[in-house]
Amino acid sequence: MSQEISLAPLDESRTSLPRIRVIRPPSFSLLGLWSSLRELWKYRDLLYTLTAHRIKVRYKQSVLGVAWAVLQPLSLMLIYTLVFAVVARIPTGGTPYPVIAFTGLLVWSLFSTALTSSTSGLVSHSHLVTKVYFPREILPLTYVFAAVFDFLIAIVVLAGIMIYYHVAPTTNIILALPIVCILICFVTAMSLVFSATQVRFRDVGVAMPLLLQLWMFASPVVYPLSAVPERFRSLYSLNPMVGIVDGFRTAVVGGAVPELRTFAVSAVISILLLPAAYLYFKHVEATIADVI
Amino acid sequence: MSDLIFDHVSKRYRIRHEVEAHATRHPLIRKWMNLWTRPEDFWAVRDVSFAVEKGEAVGIIGHNGAGKSTILKLLSNITTPTSGQITIKGRLAALIEVGSGFHPELSGRENIYLNGSILGMSRAEITEKLDSIIDFAGVRQFIDTPVKRFSSGMYVRLGFSIAAHLHPDILLLDEVLAVGDAAFQAKCLDRITELKEAGTTIVFISHDLRAVERLCQRVLLLKRGQIVMSGSAKDVVAAYKSDATLSSESVEVHKKGETKEVEIRALSFRDEAGELKPIFQTGEPLVARVDYEVHQPVKDAVFGILFFTADGQQHCELTTELSDDEISLSPGKASIEFRTPELGLLPGVYFTSVHVQERNARDVIHYQYKSTTLRVDFDRVVRGNFFLPHEWSIRQVRDGQESEKEVVGSNR
Repeated sequence: MSQEISLAPLDESRTSLPRIRVIRPPSFSLLGLWSSLRELWKYRDLLYTLTAHRIKVRYKQSVLGVAWAVLQPLSLMLIYTLVFAVVARIPTGGTPYPVIAFTGLLVWSLFSTALTSSTSGLVSHSHLVTKVYFPREILPLTYVFAAVFDFLIAIVVLAGIMIYYHVAPTTNIILALPIVCILICFVTAMSLVFSATQVRFRDVGVAMPLLLQLWMFASPVVYPLSAVPERFRSLYSLNPMVGIVDGFRTAVVGGAVPELRTFAVSAVISILLLPAAYLYFKHVEATIADVI
Repeated sequence: MSDLIFDHVSKRYRIRHEVEAHATRHPLIRKWMNLWTRPEDFWAVRDVSFAVEKGEAVGIIGHNGAGKSTILKLLSNITTPTSGQITIKGRLAALIEVGSGFHPELSGRENIYLNGSILGMSRAEITEKLDSIIDFAGVRQFIDTPVKRFSSGMYVRLGFSIAAHLHPDILLLDEVLAVGDAAFQAKCLDRITELKEAGTTIVFISHDLRAVERLCQRVLLLKRGQIVMSGSAKDVVAAYKSDATLSSESVEVHKKGETKEVEIRALSFRDEAGELKPIFQTGEPLVARVDYEVHQPVKDAVFGILFFTADGQQHCELTTELSDDEISLSPGKASIEFRTPELGLLPGVYFTSVHVQERNARDVIHYQYKSTTLRVDFDRVVRGNFFLPHEWSIRQVRDGQESEKEVVGSNR
């Protein structure tokens, strides 16, 4: 053989896997959650590589490439502007409707793309799931991160639109950061739940477009929160996406502090949901290769 | 020190039986009811315990459905055990279906990163080994083209090359060696042997008994999810082969369009005198007799006996097809005898199939599969794949004169 491969013992510090691994029947505890997180951390390189490839592949063979990340919310904005601002003339309280719509759609597309793609994510990678071990949550997570990437690109467009309509942000824009964190938290939780359920019940994937359509109109995406009658508000705000979408819009476009009560509902639900969703995912993961 | 411990491991699968069609009419109701039927338990692996020492190469063999692939999946953590505990010390890499983690749109280089990280390598580690991986696979020229443009050979080579650079402490091998061309297969085997010599623990799960015998010191024999035998490769493989005789059943396969003008009644193996003989030895004369009954005349018939190895490979055949002499059959009972002066088959159990057909006809007249097995026993040690009858002689040169050649021995 002409090739020489050095067989020197591997440097322990570089070994990315644990020295001793014990595989037991699945059991569930908060301690298990901790060790799952540690395992995930060890596979962070895979998470990074897969996310990068996810983004690359998405735009590789399309002519417009990354421009799609901009075109999608932009064209939706135009459609909704036509419907709500020109035809239905919805009151927006001074802010130009296109800005209202674009901020809403920006947040919403992060949520809906991540959820749609990650729901089918495990099943579409069944060839990997049945052949190689890695923490399975990496698959839905990569879709979430790829959607966050698109979101960041669309933020640039939002800046352009705000300049065009002379909407100036205030220092309150900094509040958008924790709101986006809560959004990512919530979408991750939902992605974990739906992708794991999809493995056994493919109905989830089929129902997803309808669910998202309903959910979008139940959130202040293409209309401002002020358009919702006062007496329905508290019930309406139980939808975590309400606090997130409205909060983001208020902080970025409105230049004000978002209403704390509405946002707190979203934050509490998201933060409680994430570990529960992760536990559920890990529970399903144990038998994923057997049923997929 | 054991690198790998299977401690009373069991794996249960639940099989749901469909509610019978007549039970209810509507498919939706039937589906709903299916959700509530009690699933049936199937134990793919039952209370299996074994330990593999550091640097040891262990083979796992068994029939289809014996639990081999379940053990593989448990070891590689693809699925979890129902009970029991598996302890793995060190980095484990599974060489199962190489290249299954490739993305066709991405370049070879990008796929090395993708596949490498799926197999558990860090990015820094991959960058360091990138050149070596590319060279081992021999795809440097194409490394920046999307792998969908790769030939299947290149695909496999790249896949194996990535896995071969893992430096695992424990290597899991499936039937992967069955892929690629002969030259690359040899390269793979060299690499595996290198890893083995460097102290890598190897678990080899295969149907390929010869490869198992070559690579492993110790072999476990699985049967219905349990280990029924464990010992030296030679002993266990031999036991497995002889076990194949016991479990072989006569299976008659009716091929489509079969017209029973001739019926094969029996296949028997006899000695030169025509006496039935249960066990043969390599190098002995063998007579294979096919008894048949002709119902309608056949003008130009062809008889053939095929021998299969225990793992189902066609091994050799006895046939009248190669001769142009016509065999015409007229109604009545008859038999045909094939003679071989020296049996070239090595010790083992061979399955047979017998067929009779009209020359150049599309369908066989009668075909019998696995009706009789031929058992060849150990007599002398023969290396290689078959026994070649031979003799030898020595010519001595004395005072510039060559002496008469003198036969000093033969292997008959």
